[in-house]
Amino acid sequence: MRIPGRIRAVAGDSVPYGPSDNAPVRRRRPQRSRTGEGPSTMAKKKYDVNAPGAKALIDEIVHGTFMKEGTMVAFPTCFPGASVPIPADESRITALDITPEGIVYGGTSGRAAHLFVGMFHGVTGVVFDLGAVEGARQCTAVCCGRSRVVACVNDADGGRLVACPLQGLPFDLIQEWGFARSPLDDWGRPAAGEPILHALADASRSKLIGITAGHVFMADLHEGKPQVVGAIEGAGRLAIGPAGGVFGLDGDRHLWRFDPRNGSLERRAVALPAGTWDKAGLRWARDASSGLLYTADAGGNLYAFADERAFAGPLGRVPLAPVGPMAVTHDGRLFGFCGSELARMFCYDPHRKQVRNLGVAVSVFERRRYGYVFGDAVTGRDGEIVFGEDDDLGHVWLYFPRIEPRT
Amino acid sequence: MRYETDRREFLKGAAGLAAAACGLAQAPSAEHAKTAPTGSGDAGYGVTWYPFTEHPESDSCWSLSAGPDGRIYAAACAEGVPGGVVKLVRYDERRDALEYLFALDEVVEDPGDSGRATQCKIHYSFVPSMSDGVLYMATHLSGPPIDQPAYSPWHSWHDPERCFRGSALVAFDTGKDKVLWWDTLIPKEGCRCLLIDEERRRLYALSYPRDHFIIYDLDTRRRRDVGRIGSINSQVLFLDRRHRVWTTDDYGHLVRYDPARDRLERSPFVLPHDRRFQTGWHSVFYDAVASPDGQCVYAGTWIARPWLMRIWPHEGDWPRIEDLGPTTQDRDITIPYDTFLDHCGGLVFGGDGCLYYVASRWRDSMYNPLPAGHKEREGVVWRLDPATLERTEVARLERPDHFAQYVSRGAADRNGDLFFGHVGPRPVGIFRVRPPADRRKKDAHLPIRIWG
Repeated sequence: MRIPGRIRAVAGDSVPYGPSDNAPVRRRRPQRSRTGEGPSTMAKKKYDVNAPGAKALIDEIVHGTFMKEGTMVAFPTCFPGASVPIPADESRITALDITPEGIVYGGTSGRAAHLFVGMFHGVTGVVFDLGAVEGARQCTAVCCGRSRVVACVNDADGGRLVACPLQGLPFDLIQEWGFARSPLDDWGRPAAGEPILHALADASRSKLIGITAGHVFMADLHEGKPQVVGAIEGAGRLAIGPAGGVFGLDGDRHLWRFDPRNGSLERRAVALPAGTWDKAGLRWARDASSGLLYTADAGGNLYAFADERAFAGPLGRVPLAPVGPMAVTHDGRLFGFCGSELARMFCYDPHRKQVRNLGVAVSVFERRRYGYVFGDAVTGRDGEIVFGEDDDLGHVWLYFPRIEPRT
Repeated sequence: MRYETDRREFLKGAAGLAAAACGLAQAPSAEHAKTAPTGSGDAGYGVTWYPFTEHPESDSCWSLSAGPDGRIYAAACAEGVPGGVVKLVRYDERRDALEYLFALDEVVEDPGDSGRATQCKIHYSFVPSMSDGVLYMATHLSGPPIDQPAYSPWHSWHDPERCFRGSALVAFDTGKDKVLWWDTLIPKEGCRCLLIDEERRRLYALSYPRDHFIIYDLDTRRRRDVGRIGSINSQVLFLDRRHRVWTTDDYGHLVRYDPARDRLERSPFVLPHDRRFQTGWHSVFYDAVASPDGQCVYAGTWIARPWLMRIWPHEGDWPRIEDLGPTTQDRDITIPYDTFLDHCGGLVFGGDGCLYYVASRWRDSMYNPLPAGHKEREGVVWRLDPATLERTEVARLERPDHFAQYVSRGAADRNGDLFFGHVGPRPVGIFRVRPPADRRKKDAHLPIRIWG
């Protein structure tokens, strides 16, 4: 029987794997010693599965890969047992926000973009689909005002804003409940033909500030009607700085700053630290207590932004790049995901000045679910971190950090 | 009696335990690669055991299929041993013996001692192409690197030295006994199950661990990732006459890919399960076989207390489902039994037009107090008449050195014999079950099963 040699590589369109998926794999060679004086005496030996320590190593490989600290709970996008989740290919959660009362709002992407609300405190336990936005396939931001929630969605003609009233708490989700789906108000397009990249509510929750592919815009969170406030090539996500300014990426090396109170837009307001900055992937997390902002460069180096003028850091390097959604819990610890395809959670502890790899997300309560890709994060009422799963059949993930031992 | 053996532990230690604990004969030597008839039963079905003696590390036969030539192909997998690899095996009816065709790691240039996760198995991923005589096969992961005791794809996903290179798709010409080509079907992931739509020149696959639905075009040799289904791999895909591909999600709902819509859709209905303690969660399909007339599909679930059902995919928006009930014995439902003990697989239509499958049976002091001297566990071959749905026990699978309660897949060959792949102590192997003459026919493998 003849076996031909290596076959040409055929590139796939879905899962990148380096130069060639079909690259031949070399056998294990004798290893050089650390001092470089020549090959060590032993090549890799077949592992003796009965060796002392084998069970511990197996346990570390099998279990230690997942959630080394804290607890994850994956909640479906429905009222379990009372409604069905958002269709799997319309439920990639790409945007989250939270009200001061701890009610979570989210937006999805995929075959359609939906807006939803999640309630996890009191006698609730529900995600309610507020509806799909006609024609939209991507939601890039959800912003909670004092009375309305506004979503930024993209369709074939660019980005637009849609809004609906905030949801009140239901009476009781045993026996007595009622949900109604209201029409979503269309607030129009901030810049014709331009997709919205990101937006946020300002500190007073009265204004929405956003960025399209070419413009910064603002909208009143009660009355709508987005208005352009400046022309800037859009990139990455926005953040609210320690003093209330809104920041976004301005070219490769700077941030612009917008003051929602007086409407001023300052170009090249802050220089980015040395590093490789990924325009598309710029992420932020804000410590609500101090106003401190965290971000990361394309190499996974973490930086802090404390006074709206300069960065500190790098503070540390997370296990993988790119860095995904992050949020800060009440004691100042930063939690986020890093790595593509199958992300790992990390923690930056500012008190210990330490980055830790917390492993792959998994929820083991009642029905196991693995979490691979996440789109956004917010800090919950009690300091739990709420992550939106940017995957088919996306769930809302609640992460309860480990309580640190008393020192 | 309680059976607490973890499946991985079972695979790891079963070879030694078999002889030591049971006081049974050692595995047959290479010279005795076929054993004398080993099964039993009163219905005239002869059972013969063929261990993979030339691959002594083999601990599982996850794939067994009729090839386009009507011969039986089996995967001698080695997933429980560091550096283990899978070898392709074929039943040679002239010699009444197994022939070993090739080791997959060599064919796809991914040697077992590379330090990566190995090309250790083919998992429900043989698919025959009748027009050109090609048997396609795709490899799966889980075998540890040679210098590690275990492999976790989650653990090593970002490790370029350890991560599984990917499921290798191999095109084997069964007429010329020649590997035509190979390609990486799914980078970094394994292929849980495979299906061919020969008319459309497409392969469909489920990836592991991410549970994505993959389409591979045989003409362009390009793949497309349609999306994720869930966290628990279904173990089989099947095709209907409208070229729709069917499987299940984590919660026991049908999932359908319709090429006309290019979308994965989920049925709102939960498939049949044991409502006393199951919810549908983990009741993904384990095995499925089409009726010879192509009108319906018989499927069983992959959860302890496996359930059988008949699915009519062409009736209604979502198919009509008939609940055919449990396949294994009743037992204590306060214990979360493992699927290694409480299992059903090997669904195949015989030459007599009846459905055959293998369900496990075991001694249980309360629910099944077998007589003294009876084996603790056994694989029971059942025959189900599609017209009456009456089922009859026709044979028991017995290997001389251990139990044989676990069967993965079944197939009929061109002579009308039935074959079943087995998972158990090393070396594993396959069973041939020869029905009585009036229940056999030539070309019983047709119409050919087109999924693994």
